[in-house]
Amino acid sequence: MLFTNYILSAWRNILRHKLFSAINVLGLAIGLAAVMLIALFVRYETSYDSFWKNADNIYRLQITFTAPGREPNPAVTAPTLIAPFLKQDFPEVTHVARAVPLNAIFIQDNNRIQEEIRITDQDILNIFDFEVIAGDIETALSDNYSLILNETLAAKYFGNENPLGKSITLETRVFTREYKVAAIIKDIPVNSQVNINAMIGLFESDWADDEALFKSWFRSYSFTYYTVKPGTDIANINNKMKDFIDRHYPSNLSGDPDNKPSDEVSLSSLNIKDLHLKAAGLGQQRPSGDYGTIIAFTLIAILILIIASINFMNLSTARASQRAKEVSIRKVMGAARTNLIIQFIGESIALTLISLLLGLVIVEISLPFYNELIGKTLIIEYGSSDIGNILIVALFVGFFAGIYPAFILSGYRPSENLKSNKSAETKASINFRTALVIVQFTISIALFISTAVIYSQIQYTKNFNLGFNAENILLIKGIRDNEVRDKTGLLIDELKKLTDAINVTSTSITPGVYGVTASNMRTPSMAEGKTVLIGDHKVGYDFFKTFGIEIINGRAFEESRNEFEASDVLVRQGNAAVNSMVINELAVRQLGFNSAEDAIGKSVSGMNYLGGDLTKKYQIIGVTSNIYFESLKNTVRPEMYVLNPYFTSTIALRYVGNPQEIIENTRNIWQQQFPNIPFRYDFVSDAIEEQYWEEHGQMTMITAFSGLAIFIACLGLFGLASFTAERRTKEIGIRKIFGAEVWQVVKLLVWQFTKPVIIANLIAWPLSFYVMSRWLESFVYRIDDMVIIALCLIAGLAALLIAWATVAGNSYAVARTNPIKALRYE
Amino acid sequence: MLKMQDLTKTYRTDEVETVALNNVNIDIEQGEFVAIMGPSGCGKSTLLNIIGMLDTPTSGHYFFKDEDVAGYSEAQLGVIRKHNIGFIFQSFNLIDELSVAENIELALLYHDIPAAERKERVAAVMDKVGIAHRAKHMPSQLSGGQQQRVAVARAVVGNQSMILADEPTGNLDTAHGQEVMEMLQRLNEEGTTIVMVTHSPSHADYARRTINLLDGHVVTESMRA
Repeated sequence: MLFTNYILSAWRNILRHKLFSAINVLGLAIGLAAVMLIALFVRYETSYDSFWKNADNIYRLQITFTAPGREPNPAVTAPTLIAPFLKQDFPEVTHVARAVPLNAIFIQDNNRIQEEIRITDQDILNIFDFEVIAGDIETALSDNYSLILNETLAAKYFGNENPLGKSITLETRVFTREYKVAAIIKDIPVNSQVNINAMIGLFESDWADDEALFKSWFRSYSFTYYTVKPGTDIANINNKMKDFIDRHYPSNLSGDPDNKPSDEVSLSSLNIKDLHLKAAGLGQQRPSGDYGTIIAFTLIAILILIIASINFMNLSTARASQRAKEVSIRKVMGAARTNLIIQFIGESIALTLISLLLGLVIVEISLPFYNELIGKTLIIEYGSSDIGNILIVALFVGFFAGIYPAFILSGYRPSENLKSNKSAETKASINFRTALVIVQFTISIALFISTAVIYSQIQYTKNFNLGFNAENILLIKGIRDNEVRDKTGLLIDELKKLTDAINVTSTSITPGVYGVTASNMRTPSMAEGKTVLIGDHKVGYDFFKTFGIEIINGRAFEESRNEFEASDVLVRQGNAAVNSMVINELAVRQLGFNSAEDAIGKSVSGMNYLGGDLTKKYQIIGVTSNIYFESLKNTVRPEMYVLNPYFTSTIALRYVGNPQEIIENTRNIWQQQFPNIPFRYDFVSDAIEEQYWEEHGQMTMITAFSGLAIFIACLGLFGLASFTAERRTKEIGIRKIFGAEVWQVVKLLVWQFTKPVIIANLIAWPLSFYVMSRWLESFVYRIDDMVIIALCLIAGLAALLIAWATVAGNSYAVARTNPIKALRYE
Repeated sequence: MLKMQDLTKTYRTDEVETVALNNVNIDIEQGEFVAIMGPSGCGKSTLLNIIGMLDTPTSGHYFFKDEDVAGYSEAQLGVIRKHNIGFIFQSFNLIDELSVAENIELALLYHDIPAAERKERVAAVMDKVGIAHRAKHMPSQLSGGQQQRVAVARAVVGNQSMILADEPTGNLDTAHGQEVMEMLQRLNEEGTTIVMVTHSPSHADYARRTINLLDGHVVTESMRA
């Protein structure tokens, strides 16, 4: 009976105070919805690769090359030569397998389709528990003519037929061979950094004709996975890697006699579950997540929960005076304090549960947009533990938000409250509320500043002078294909005939792609044995014109001069021709020249892995400004450009007019020449945009959630302001009778909420400045710290304006009421 | 000082129209002490509110110092009110969060008076009503009689020419009630016009004239001998 009385009382309270209940429920619902959305994202991001049975003991070996004078170049892969020594040197290691990515053309009837597959050691089956649907996966990797496909590929090539035993021809860069489908595995879930569509067995003899695949200590071609005995501390293995490198590496990277191999090469291992969030290097199999982002979002979720809970506490205690009478009467009737505490916490939990239902509705409505924004497909699984988890969070919030008001309310003494003329509010509870408002606004202002700093940094990146003109350049990919390579020149000539084409060139580097190829170069004036590492890029004629890159000194390559770079083969055969090269300003400095002018005409030799005394001779013919082809997260480096169209990978075409038209015209030319090879293209501006796509998505998320946090805080402030105004009606009436005008009353009420906002600013500013200046340090090219200070001031002003706008409307209404109304009834 | 001609006040809710004051004609001279009496609901408070310019009449004229203020806006009334009229209430209506001195100062806060002068005047008036030793106390720490003395001080600190008192002794015991009445009498002797609503015939006797109201009409006016 008592319980139904509680529920009745709670329900009627909710109905009677519609504004209060609406603000409480709405604020909490939005807060819970935001938290659920963030939790879905965080859970997904942290779920990567945890589904493997042995996940705790699976590691990936990763190599980092640090050439003298260059930044460390971390990879997520490792050279193929390392794997065999791993098991030999470390007793803890139980299985080791390499998975080498390979672009193979699947030839079926007359169709040629390129697929990325893996060449894998058989031991991979002891590391990953692939789900086998059909066939014998064990034997499939034990010969070099069997193929394992995942379901998607099996369906793509064989439809509804049973693919087992069927054959398909694979064309690789070394051989073309018929493979038989020996096993089908289930697709590996999307939340995995082990992205394997198809596997063929690894037999080094197959690749004898490949110059480097199984021969190089310095090219990291394979994902290298291994398992350790349960209980192994990976730090033990990581610590021994220095010795391991010096034991096995035949030389260092630079050839510098003063450096040990381990000075320039380092190996580390990452648990498979950390691959998604903590891998630093390039070449991930799926776009990496960012650990910092996960932490930031978790923090935002917690802050939003705090803000929403504070609303709850504030509004409940503010309303306390109105419920004081109920409390007193219940006490007079014999209620113990615990009864009342239970009642009020119960009420708080009931409101939370209503909020939760509304929150779930908000989540369901916003999920499609949210998924589009972050590029995932997240769902709430109602049948699973999801609902339980959400309930626990909601109950937790309800309990903690309710506990303070419950203790305040239940502590009232009936003798004091049944006297009509006493205010039930104590100074302490008013101060406590003010403190909570300060906390809310500190959080909101800090979020506002952080968001503004991130936004400014992104704008800065967007407006950064990249040193080339990214607009109106079409990229045509795939000219490394053997069939295309020899006809590239013809293709370019055809493309040049298009009326909308201004310049056409080919290049080995394109904007938005990390350029890792670099060569050791030296000038005669350098000390014996010393070299510097310079980015080595192959380009065609008109490269600089096409990209709008300024030549600040000297000249670009000219067709009349025939200055193609000699191939390694020719150099080995004794060709001693001097090749022309164009370098950037940083390379001028790195090579030790005083100025761009000084560099022109100077000779440089390339020690490009040719061994012995064989070097390639270059002469500098031009100097360009530094251009930023890569993301601005990377620093600009010394680079050289040589004329060598044979090793380019992409055609770049500067056009005017309609992009759709140029795509169509280009496609036609391509299809005439290469009817069997798919036409692949991209725009430079898109490729650049893509580098920041993830940041932009996250930026939108942070903005949205910060906006929500601020909105919830304002909602609370609005509720609090209306209760305060209500509480102060008598005072306002008296002031008006004694001559206060409407604006003076408004000022009085508004000022009450101005103080906490000002204090919140003073707390939020140094906090935000500290955190955001640290964050900016992760960018090589970034906005000045002074911008943060300016944004602090703007955020402070905005917070004040928002608080004023929230409070003023209500205050004005209260200030205008006739004072006799306020004084007549008490 | 003030003159009311055919003054009528009606309240209108959705369904009923209530006549609170009906054709009231009253004249009050400068320096008078007038008591308004009558049973509950007779329109006493409405009359006092209109005199105090907290409410406006529905029809008729209200001349305050020869100025017809019947049609004035709230803001205009506010200006006249704050320079001329002080209020005393049955329930004191002090602001709980302000000290005694601050409560009294409130009546000067919305006039253009420098802070130093305000302090001086507040101190003077506290001496006058005998509450100076309580200057820093909060209202909740005072007895009812003391609270009402603070209220009286607040009503006169602005040198108001008229004080409106709405049952000023209603919440006080006999002795404290007596004290407040004597204080009002003293103020009246110094020249302040006082209009007081009361239920107590003995307190009405302090006034020189009593106006009896019944159902919105002035029924009798009696002068003290």
